[in-house]
Amino acid sequence: MEREAIVSEFYEKLDSRGVTRRDFMKLCGAVAAAAGIAHITATDVAYALEQSVIGAKEGNLYPVIWMEGASCTGCTESFAQIETPDPATVVLELISLNYSETLGAGAGWSFEEAREQTIAAGNYIFIYEGAVLEKWEGQALRVANEPGIEHVTHTAAKANAVVALGSCAVNGGWMAAYPNPAGAIGVQQCLKKHGIETPVVNVPGCPANPEWLEAVLVDVLFLQQLPDLNAEGKPSLLFTQTIHDNCQRRGHFENGEFVYQFGTREEALGYCLYPLGCRGPQTKANCGITRWNNRRSWCVESGGPCIGCTTANPANSNENWVETNTPFLKRHRDLRVGDFRLSPTTIALSVTGLLAAALVIHGFGMKITGRMNGGADFEKVRKWDKRHPDRSIGCYDLSDEECAALEAEAGVAAPAKPVGRTTAAKTGTGTATKTGTTGTTGTRTRAKTAGQDGADAAKKADEESKGGKA
Amino acid sequence: MAHLAHYREAHPLPFVITHWINLVAMILLIISGFNIHFPFWAAFEGIARGIHMFFAFVLVLNCIVRVILSFFVKSAPTGGTRRTDTDIKSWLPQTDNRHQAGAWVKYYLFLKKDHPLSAKLGVPQKLSYLLIPPLILIMAYTGLCLWGPTMNAPPFAAGLNLVGGAMMMRIIHYFLMYVFICFMFIHVYLANVEGTAPTKLMFFRREHGGLVYDPDKHAIIGEDELDEKH
Repeated sequence: MEREAIVSEFYEKLDSRGVTRRDFMKLCGAVAAAAGIAHITATDVAYALEQSVIGAKEGNLYPVIWMEGASCTGCTESFAQIETPDPATVVLELISLNYSETLGAGAGWSFEEAREQTIAAGNYIFIYEGAVLEKWEGQALRVANEPGIEHVTHTAAKANAVVALGSCAVNGGWMAAYPNPAGAIGVQQCLKKHGIETPVVNVPGCPANPEWLEAVLVDVLFLQQLPDLNAEGKPSLLFTQTIHDNCQRRGHFENGEFVYQFGTREEALGYCLYPLGCRGPQTKANCGITRWNNRRSWCVESGGPCIGCTTANPANSNENWVETNTPFLKRHRDLRVGDFRLSPTTIALSVTGLLAAALVIHGFGMKITGRMNGGADFEKVRKWDKRHPDRSIGCYDLSDEECAALEAEAGVAAPAKPVGRTTAAKTGTGTATKTGTTGTTGTRTRAKTAGQDGADAAKKADEESKGGKA
Repeated sequence: MAHLAHYREAHPLPFVITHWINLVAMILLIISGFNIHFPFWAAFEGIARGIHMFFAFVLVLNCIVRVILSFFVKSAPTGGTRRTDTDIKSWLPQTDNRHQAGAWVKYYLFLKKDHPLSAKLGVPQKLSYLLIPPLILIMAYTGLCLWGPTMNAPPFAAGLNLVGGAMMMRIIHYFLMYVFICFMFIHVYLANVEGTAPTKLMFFRREHGGLVYDPDKHAIIGEDELDEKH
């Protein structure tokens, strides 16, 4: 049987550009790995790539508009450190970056025209880096005679999807930190306010890891779908596990080996940075897997406790990572009471300390008022009952016989020779009577409630009877 | 002797046991919790986490068991009596408590000289005890919002979103611990300031004589001096 090895047109095309099949598969493997997509393999990526616009004989690369909002361009800088594929490959081979203030070669009218043409043509991805500023009627970041906020809404409205890149784009980030003078918010919040329903993929981080953006692009370009998003609109594969889950210092945490101070032997040994305020256990991102700067290292590996820069709730610009995590080296954030900043520990210890002091003072009061030994004498009648005799809760005028019968019924005392209960109340010298013993409860003596003399006499009689027994 | 007689019927054995479990679990949870918050004793950290999770579940289960038992086990509704009634009735407001809230507050502020008549639990005491089971459940919920294996489950993720993230949840969990600490301070103080008899009864089932109270007549009807004196 004749078998013929067929080299596809696609590979010939690659070959003509100096890309071997091996190089291509390596790229596909890297893309699959970088995306962190466990269920697809390099072969899947290769197939998708062959079928995509890149492999097609006709058609264009996927258009992307990458716009800077209130940003430091740090996310772009971070993107420039991507390893495989390198930034040039992404920008030139995988997408058609039609507009980017930082990476674009163009400027001025023609550059803005390119953006307008891309928007008019539709079917593009919009990457927005930085916060949206609401103050000054949205006039901040005014470019090409268009207010900053309109740039966002206008470009997002027709996009297939918006990628909010970096924590500032997700919910304002440090731009939105107190007192948030520019009214910074995230892209999702801004679009919601303007009734624009374009799906938003939130990729937080300060800066965002380039591989996270790449993962989103891989899904969009090759699989023609948005990644699976969690409740915060973040790719769930990247932002479900915590830093702590994948931390290389985790072993030291489990062993109880901690760095308590910088510059110590423990720090040199690479111990866990938890006591130095590391936010790893509460920060969701896979930094420990993707790492940074050509996958060389990342914050915790290089000795810096995680400061929780991916903490960003797109629905709440107050829940930004700076507000949530400062001071970074403390285990708790500070709470703001007016213009004061207080640590939760200070608040809790102050309240508890005040309470303890109050109890000590109260204890002296109890001592002085002689309540330490059994408390004060009981009130004879409830005050309310005294005022409302017709609706009285308690029955205070029981005869001795009735009392004795009730006690017997309750099993706390045998029927006793009645003591003038009312007499005792009148004279204050109710006499104690001996009673029989019942069950296991021993000798019982009945006496008048408030007739302390009677009670004392009863005690005396009781003690005497015991002395006799002894 | 002004207090009511302390009888075992006030605290039946099942409740003595649940009280012991509460005490041990809460103390271990507080100590391990402090260590988890900041590992002041490094070698204890791993064990502390195990203890914390284990006793959290113990405390919650114990709380549920205690509440369910209160519908079945009978206990004395007031001090100074051996008569018993379904325990839950002594958790909820009783006739003996009516109109007495002000009297209790005044008594503890030294504005009232004589001791208010009461049910087994006075009004402020009753309110604080009623708060404890929901507090334990809220505490457990905030804890599960922070625990790795459960933090992403929808009921806990919703809670995190509600309070403003894991850091705020941690602070709430931390403050709630101080609520328990403050409760314990007040509880231990008030239980012992007028004598240790209530504690001896609660922990060791030792009875103590005192005034006899009738839960139907809502009044003191006599005095019972047990042989055993403390």
